[in-house]
Amino acid sequence: MAPLKHLEMENPIIDASFRDFCSSHGILTVEDFLIHDLYELAAFAERQVDADRLKEGITVMLSLLEVKCRPLLNGMELLEDLQRNKHTLSSGDNGTDSLLQGGLREGQVTELVGPSSSGKTQFCMQAAASVAEKQEGSVFYIDTGNSFSARRIAQFICGSSAAAALQKRVLSRISCHTVYDIYTMFDTLQGLEVALRSQMNVNECRLRLLIVDSISSLITPILGGSGSQGRALMVALGYLLKKLAHEHNIAVLVTNHTVGAGENGKTKPALGETWKSIPHVRLMLSRDNRNNICTISILKHTSMLSGQTVTRKDNQQCL
Amino acid sequence: MREHEAARDWIRSDETAKQMLSRVLGDRAFLLLPPLHRVPLRAGNVVEITGSSPTAKTQILIQAAIACILPKTWNGVHYGGLEKLVLFLDLDCRFDVMRLSDMLKHRLLEANRIGNGAWWQLEESSGVKNCRGAQDKSKSKSKIVYDEELYVSCMKRFLYLRCYDSLELLSSLKTLHYRIRLQEACGSQVGVLMIDSIGAFHWTDRLSSSLALDKNNRKSLSLTNVVETIVQEMKKLMRVHSLVVIATKATIYEEKYPTNENNRKLSSNNDKAQQPPFREFMPSSWQAFVTHKIFIRKSGDHHQSSGQQSLSAYSLEWLQPQLSSIDRFIVDDSGVVIVS
Repeated sequence: MAPLKHLEMENPIIDASFRDFCSSHGILTVEDFLIHDLYELAAFAERQVDADRLKEGITVMLSLLEVKCRPLLNGMELLEDLQRNKHTLSSGDNGTDSLLQGGLREGQVTELVGPSSSGKTQFCMQAAASVAEKQEGSVFYIDTGNSFSARRIAQFICGSSAAAALQKRVLSRISCHTVYDIYTMFDTLQGLEVALRSQMNVNECRLRLLIVDSISSLITPILGGSGSQGRALMVALGYLLKKLAHEHNIAVLVTNHTVGAGENGKTKPALGETWKSIPHVRLMLSRDNRNNICTISILKHTSMLSGQTVTRKDNQQCL
Repeated sequence: MREHEAARDWIRSDETAKQMLSRVLGDRAFLLLPPLHRVPLRAGNVVEITGSSPTAKTQILIQAAIACILPKTWNGVHYGGLEKLVLFLDLDCRFDVMRLSDMLKHRLLEANRIGNGAWWQLEESSGVKNCRGAQDKSKSKSKIVYDEELYVSCMKRFLYLRCYDSLELLSSLKTLHYRIRLQEACGSQVGVLMIDSIGAFHWTDRLSSSLALDKNNRKSLSLTNVVETIVQEMKKLMRVHSLVVIATKATIYEEKYPTNENNRKLSSNNDKAQQPPFREFMPSSWQAFVTHKIFIRKSGDHHQSSGQQSLSAYSLEWLQPQLSSIDRFIVDDSGVVIVS
């Protein structure tokens, strides 16, 4: 909420008399400017002595707003951006890749829902290993439950017979951060955003995948009750992830747990109704422990039919 | 003499009623956008589509957008579109342009097939369109090609803007008029403004209303003020450009009682305005702005006759104006298809 006087240095028209006129109408910051009706303000300015200068000031404010706005893109430009910048990353598992027609897409937030010990963390680590090794991109792994294991990731790298130098190089591309509450999470993500903006994420070893395992353990403690704070923080976090994904061409993978017994007794994903509109793609992971069969099904996808599934047999060594 | 002339000029009519009617119908014509074709829409109408997630609301928007950006005819083939610009304000930030592109290509191929007289089974029994399987499509695709130039010109008529919070939305709306003018200079006018979805920043705006400012003449960034300003800016836009506004709204409260068709029939015997089947959370300034309301809910699975997997079906109900018939539809590769 920057006060208007900070704009004076670069735009000398926003001088003291303009600011006095604005504060007489209750406008002290740029955000206040957005809430007021500008035509009405211009009409008030008409009655003042220096009407032209004031109206010019309003026009300058509008042009400053326009510079900050996002550009209006047409369909062809969107397609071009998609094909040039938003590649598909293999998730490390052939079944999932065929289900998602390629794998995890950069610019999208993919959510993996599953009951506990259904293999969500294994999936995340496999995806991290695959992106770090095959696509040679770096991975930002946010761990909220102390389940990250470098040894397990090393096992995913092309079998354990890989050369030690290759393993070391691949592992050095994965950075793990432990976060236990939502405020530290905001801190970490905002720091990441600043770092990405300053170094122009375009070189060889750029950040391609951001994993949050699991996001529900950060959000569930603050949800609940009738207050809006918990849900507001959840929505703000969701939008921060979507912004990071789209503006910096990163694939985001988050995991969520399930809660049981809706009215028909089926398990459903946690985090409630509002969270349903946040991820682009929602996958449900379920495991049949007796036969060791793992099933992934699509709950929601932006461009594919939901309900498609793929199953695979699990073994201990490599998924 | 001069005064008599002036008085006579003042009394003389500008146009007859017939001329006025033809002018108004020409300027602000009725639009029939499938699948919202039950009620003809005119410029100045604001349609709100409510449904929980996921209920194919964005698919409906994309289908309506395609109907808007296609031309009426091109190279002798009839497409039946409006050839107008579509402005898509993505507040959900989940729009996938591949889906728009695929659906547009399907429409172009289909229109070309019908135009060229090639065999395409259109079983009009009770309005069910027979959708062919994937194998058939690949065989005939090699014979009939869509017009690349037409595809590009249609995609260019689709304008997209993304906002990550209410402040961005407000500043975009304030500067939108000038940017639309620039785009309109290339040819077509704006026909539809689409917003997906309008309640996206509800929770974050509610949080900022609790941070009240204590200066008395200062307007705070509360939920009601923000929505009021959004409505005001949109009204200003609608005065200058003749547009239809179509907004989707995702319900944010879970339905406590599953409102299936049986429950509703029991309670729908009174003529008074019914309780809407979802909990309304938008402030009154938005509710007063909306002129048409649609509600979409899941309605069981639809089993396809060709043995493919069953797709989930949704039912579309017009709440305002209240229609007694309910459309059921499914979503497949070519878009929204009404089944009953």
